Amino acid sequence: MARGTSLAAYALTRLLIAVPMLLTLLTFVFIILRILPGDPVLALWGGRPPPPPVIEAARAQLGLDQPPWVQYVSYLKNIFTGNFGTSFGEFYRGQSVWTVMMEKFPATVELTVGAMFVATVLGIVTGVLGGANRDKPIDVAMRLYGTIVWVIPIFWLGLIFQLIFGVWLHWLPPHSRWSGSDIPHPVTGLYTVDALLEGSFPKLVKAVSHLILPSLTLGIVLSGFFTKTVRANLLRTIDADYTEAARARGVSERRIVYKHAFKNALVPVVTILGLQFAILFAGAVLTETTFSWNGMGVLLYDSINSKDYMMIQGVIVFYATIIVIISLCIDILGALIDPRIRL
Amino acid sequence: MQRKSLLLAIVAVIVAIAIIAAAYVLLAAPKAKLQMELWYNSDGHYGDTEPQLATVLKNSLEKSSKVSVTLRSDPWAVYRQNWVNQRMPLFLLGWYPDYFDSDNYVSPFLSVSGAASLGSFYNNSQVDTWVTQEQSTTDPAARQTLFNQIQDKLAEDVPYIPLFSGNAQVAYLSNITGVFLHPVTFKWFIIDKPGAAELKGATTDKIISLDPASAYDFFSIEVINQVFDTLLVYDVKNATLLPGLATAVPTVANGGISANGQTYTYHLRTGVTFHDGTAFNSSVMKRAIDRAVRLDIAGSAAFLLYDVGGLGRSAANGNNTAPGVITTPDANTIVFNLNKPVAFFNDLMAFSAAAPVPWTYSQTGEQPSTVPNVVGTGPYRLTTHQADQLVVLDEYAGYFGTTLYAPAVSSIPKVPRVSIQILGSATNLKQSIETKTVDVAFRTLTPTDLTDLQNRATTLGLKVDIGASPQIRYLVFNVNLVPDVRVRRAIAYLVDRPLIDSQVFQGLVEPLYSMVPPNMPFAKAVFQTAYGNGNVAAADNILSGLGYAVQFRQHEIAREIG
Repeated sequence: MARGTSLAAYALTRLLIAVPMLLTLLTFVFIILRILPGDPVLALWGGRPPPPPVIEAARAQLGLDQPPWVQYVSYLKNIFTGNFGTSFGEFYRGQSVWTVMMEKFPATVELTVGAMFVATVLGIVTGVLGGANRDKPIDVAMRLYGTIVWVIPIFWLGLIFQLIFGVWLHWLPPHSRWSGSDIPHPVTGLYTVDALLEGSFPKLVKAVSHLILPSLTLGIVLSGFFTKTVRANLLRTIDADYTEAARARGVSERRIVYKHAFKNALVPVVTILGLQFAILFAGAVLTETTFSWNGMGVLLYDSINSKDYMMIQGVIVFYATIIVIISLCIDILGALIDPRIRL
Repeated sequence: MQRKSLLLAIVAVIVAIAIIAAAYVLLAAPKAKLQMELWYNSDGHYGDTEPQLATVLKNSLEKSSKVSVTLRSDPWAVYRQNWVNQRMPLFLLGWYPDYFDSDNYVSPFLSVSGAASLGSFYNNSQVDTWVTQEQSTTDPAARQTLFNQIQDKLAEDVPYIPLFSGNAQVAYLSNITGVFLHPVTFKWFIIDKPGAAELKGATTDKIISLDPASAYDFFSIEVINQVFDTLLVYDVKNATLLPGLATAVPTVANGGISANGQTYTYHLRTGVTFHDGTAFNSSVMKRAIDRAVRLDIAGSAAFLLYDVGGLGRSAANGNNTAPGVITTPDANTIVFNLNKPVAFFNDLMAFSAAAPVPWTYSQTGEQPSTVPNVVGTGPYRLTTHQADQLVVLDEYAGYFGTTLYAPAVSSIPKVPRVSIQILGSATNLKQSIETKTVDVAFRTLTPTDLTDLQNRATTLGLKVDIGASPQIRYLVFNVNLVPDVRVRRAIAYLVDRPLIDSQVFQGLVEPLYSMVPPNMPFAKAVFQTAYGNGNVAAADNILSGLGYAVQFRQHEIAREIG
């Protein structure tokens, strides 16, 4: 079989596996939401309930008077035609789930990309420093760093950063994506990109300055994982046969570590980098809440609180699809790099 | 043999006596402590202080050694379901009025239908009649008598225990003027920042909808009040009604209200235009009210118009009000013919649900809350709305009512642009005003943060105002689950309001002794005279009469002996 055909078959298989996986997830979410106690319709009026007929009319208006299986079939039909439905939660009632998600998603993208950048840079630097100085004090310090930051509660770190850099030093805005009414003209929803498209350097600076603290918070916590992975991989490659051979040929240790071992140590890191996005999305929920960062994390948090079935289902399916796509891309990338994978 | 039989008989008699004695001791033994579940909301529906409030309440009730309280909590959507399904015997709730008549602190709680909705299931036909009577008369003396009777009965039957009135708060930079904590609506358009083109505000409240036919939450209504007008408006400093889009407040004396209290006539101002340039007139007004009634959007306040407000809803007329209920004799007159006398109909006409919307508004569903779909007649136009993040209001050049509040406020709006940032937490709100990122931090600061800002106000260059809020907090008894009024009274004796005020709210709330707060007409502090605060002796006396006693567990006795 030709290499191209084999790769295409592999990608297709992975894609087909993703469909039942998403369907299972969707079904589970649908069932769990309806089993859990709580009534989104009653919650709509806050503490000021209208007469019972009004509540029943609302239930009918939202289709929640239908038997669950009818709701399920209708929901599946809609999802596979790209219709995520209309929210009926306390906060987003009457709004299209897709529209709300598209309003929030750019904020989360900006945050996750920023955090991933911080996590990668910090993780690689600390991992390499540790690995290259095995068992020396600096290695112990880096290992300690990796362990400590991995267990720090995100909201706590965020609050400390806000207090130091925002409130005490006044170096950076303590929260939010923007302050004031001069938001960049929305094109992509990514304020950094929109500021660039607008050609406004001050707005770009403002957008980046708002991005720094949340990205640092989430990035530092995630960097612990990278520190440990990079260090472990680097130690493995430093002890590998080909590095021994290099040493035997008189190549300097510095060159061995930073030129040969480091590059090879990064290959598995790139693979896990993609998978880290799932953890990143989860961490974004806490970061967004701490920093009033108006993204998908806050949306999910609010939707869960108000039992907004449609919105919760929409966000989970959306996230799951993204994770599946990222995993698929990594698998294909892996298969391209290492043909043994698709055998 | 005979001896053996005798012995057996003696043993049998002894055993029988022992059993009878044991049964007597067990049956006559005092009852265990009164076990009471106290429920509270766990996901911040009433702010971050709720767990602390519940704990202080528990401690205050357990000052009687005859009471044992178990705290339980649920997120709002479950909590709401719990009270409908009657799972909570005693629970914490709060109320923010819809219209500023004392009736709104009574009918939702004590009328039979209202009490069922609010989870107490209190059912007293006499009280129900009094409520209907006070709703139907505008005579202050008659209403005073009825409200006295209703509140006395409230204290006697204790389906609710009033706890405290909330506080309204605002922190702002020292150079900002005209900030006033209005009892009904915070008016951004009277705030001034001399020489500035933009006033920056922040809050943690969300905007749910900016369609008057849909909005029924605090901050949506707040923004609507800056962008829309109503027939009547509230004075800048108090809850007195003033003419808004109408030229006068209808009264019986001026002929605006019929003698039977069922017909209200409003004469409208001329030359009023919406932000899109279209004209406001009586037909537009009628269409807006009919739209709200017909759409009856889930979660909206439409029922206040067609049910509480007596306008009705006619299925035969496409779910609008019935023909003849709202008439428009001419372009500048609108007449409401109610199906019952409603003493507070004027207050309803000052509520956001009755704000007129232009002819172009969606007649089949909710109008989007985005620019340029939000169109009112108010002093500000909505020019930016980033959901859950930012709302920007710009001055409407064609505003009819620039001198609406003169001479108290010479002209409105004071600042050409107001931007309000919507934040995710009270901590972020405090940081905003501390770092002077915003000029005004509104409403949702925590008691600890408020006290901290008050203490550092001079250093930070801030002012912190704390005022009375129309919000009340109270305990609800489900009378079906706690049917014995003596138990409810005992609990009422034990509640310690000053303790709540000092331990949870740092002295920032006002103890409440009736469901009608003291700043409203006809309020009578019935719980103060009947029960006071933390009266353990009185509670113990009732509970002893009911057979409750202190019961120690074995390990407690062992600990004491040991």
